[in-house]
Amino acid sequence: MKACIVTRNELTQLLDRLISHVDVYAPVREKGTANWAKISSVDEVYLEAVNSREPAKGFIFPRCELLMRFDKNGNPIVPAPIQEQILFGIRPCDARALKVLERFFVQDGKSDPYVQRRVEKTTLIGMACNRTAPTCFCFALGNSPHDTEGLDLLLTEVEGVFLAEAVTEKGEKLLADLSPADETVLRKRAALKSKVESEINERFDVKKLQGKLPQLFKHEVWEVLSLSCVNCGACTFLCPTCHCFDVTDETMRGKSARYRVWDSCQFTLYSRHASGHNPRFDSSSRYRNRMMDKFYYTTEQVGLISCVGCGRCISACPAGIDIRQTVAKLLRIIDGMGK
Amino acid sequence: MSRTELLRKRANELLSQGVVKLVLGYRAGAQDNVAQPFFATTPDQTAELIFDSTCSPNIANYLLKVKNIGRVAVIAKGCDSRSIVVLLQEKQIVRENLYILGVGCEGVVHNGEKSVTCKACQYPNPVIYDEMVDAPVEKTTPGPQVLKADDDFDRLTPDQRWQVLSADVARCIRCYACRQACPNCYCPVCFVDASTPQLLGKTHNISDNMVFHIIRLLHMAGRCVECGACHRACPMGIDLMRFNRRITKIVRERFDTSPGVDINSPPALTRFLPEDSQEFIK
Repeated sequence: MKACIVTRNELTQLLDRLISHVDVYAPVREKGTANWAKISSVDEVYLEAVNSREPAKGFIFPRCELLMRFDKNGNPIVPAPIQEQILFGIRPCDARALKVLERFFVQDGKSDPYVQRRVEKTTLIGMACNRTAPTCFCFALGNSPHDTEGLDLLLTEVEGVFLAEAVTEKGEKLLADLSPADETVLRKRAALKSKVESEINERFDVKKLQGKLPQLFKHEVWEVLSLSCVNCGACTFLCPTCHCFDVTDETMRGKSARYRVWDSCQFTLYSRHASGHNPRFDSSSRYRNRMMDKFYYTTEQVGLISCVGCGRCISACPAGIDIRQTVAKLLRIIDGMGK
Repeated sequence: MSRTELLRKRANELLSQGVVKLVLGYRAGAQDNVAQPFFATTPDQTAELIFDSTCSPNIANYLLKVKNIGRVAVIAKGCDSRSIVVLLQEKQIVRENLYILGVGCEGVVHNGEKSVTCKACQYPNPVIYDEMVDAPVEKTTPGPQVLKADDDFDRLTPDQRWQVLSADVARCIRCYACRQACPNCYCPVCFVDASTPQLLGKTHNISDNMVFHIIRLLHMAGRCVECGACHRACPMGIDLMRFNRRITKIVRERFDTSPGVDINSPPALTRFLPEDSQEFIK
């Protein structure tokens, strides 16, 4: 695929052109950090915070989505079609996460039409990370801060200019009249890549983890690990791949609406049966479910681990729980089992 | 000996002498983020205990998790001890099952700076304890004061105030980290989780979000000790202390009391005094 050099001016022009006819979203300043918002000018883009407070999952899987309206006579009123959208400055971990979500929701013969149409209408212009936050660990899982998975176009800042690499045809179209990148830039970028990767020291054997996790289902470690957990939903709601939802109907003055809203396996209500029985009645079983889901259940379902190493669950946890420490502990137990 | 060393020594002794079954404190958390509440059950584990400005979760919250295992030592700073008082007054925990290791606190960190609650802290030292681990710290803030932000807020018209609050609360993702981080939010079934019948909508429209926050706030009136655990827990950075400061101020002005300070003074809304203002009775 095509790789080009884009100067700051050219990037501004490109974005201005896009903003004039499509909804463009990017990380902007918000309460001391960055978060996604629709932008009307390039100047609003804020990429200093490494990553945005919230992941990009809401763009294809909104936290509250109107599925349909229906009136007293039962006639469904289908909501208006959604708009084309461009996400500018999405980080490689979050783009990978959207790909993971897509694997869950868009499958041959059983696709979720709501997520599918959003995926189809979304273009992802990624920005490679040239530095990491203390909570970043994508590389520990075998990914890279310069990955292109899930993106349409990846930008990498190389000495004041941007190397733009098309990943899909959608991305290539954006580069139509730009000059191709030369060898020097590609070499400099390779150096940047290995430098940023070296900032992340942990390495997790995720294959081993997914293979052995089922054997830890009844292990006492979950009791210990979950002691400090307060069972809020901050980790799951800020997780770029957590995708559990609840469906709820609301009726007002004879008109009803059906919504899909995010739900979290950390909530008691999540697993409570109509009978009142709750198979995940305690903190440790809910904590276990989250870890099992990230590193084992989803590998069974779609062949992917569903942790991308963005670190949001670490920085959002009100109890200072670090998923890296949990994974390391589980791996230590697994290593001990073999002996 | 440093405070952390003294703390480890005493915790170790309490466990080895069998005075307590468990020591509830903190150990280092992720990076320089937030210390992790830690449950030491053997003397060796006390080597992991720390106490510093990252120890921001309200530790009283965790007493409810271990209330049935016997006597527990708990490392408590000023605000934690006030929450313990509230929990004792509300009969959620038993004094005999507690051994409070008091620590003076110079304030905890939130987003790289001193937490907003700590900047106005009136009780840096525990109000109740079995022993102080170290000498009490000196209180550096004057008496209750109105923050400039609150003063500015008060000058707005009711409509403007509603707009400011709505804009903040609209960002709530209903993860309930605020509720879960609060030691005083211990209802077995929270009103937001009631499902038969459902009391609150699950969508994120502003009225549902606002109802959640206002009802939680009403439940906190006369009980909130302004520890700021909810404020720091919010992953969206919603200014929850703005709400909490307001109810605390109202309770202080109307009932001349602050929650969790005096174990013998019942919570404002659970008592009646003839001199309570009754202008609402017409």
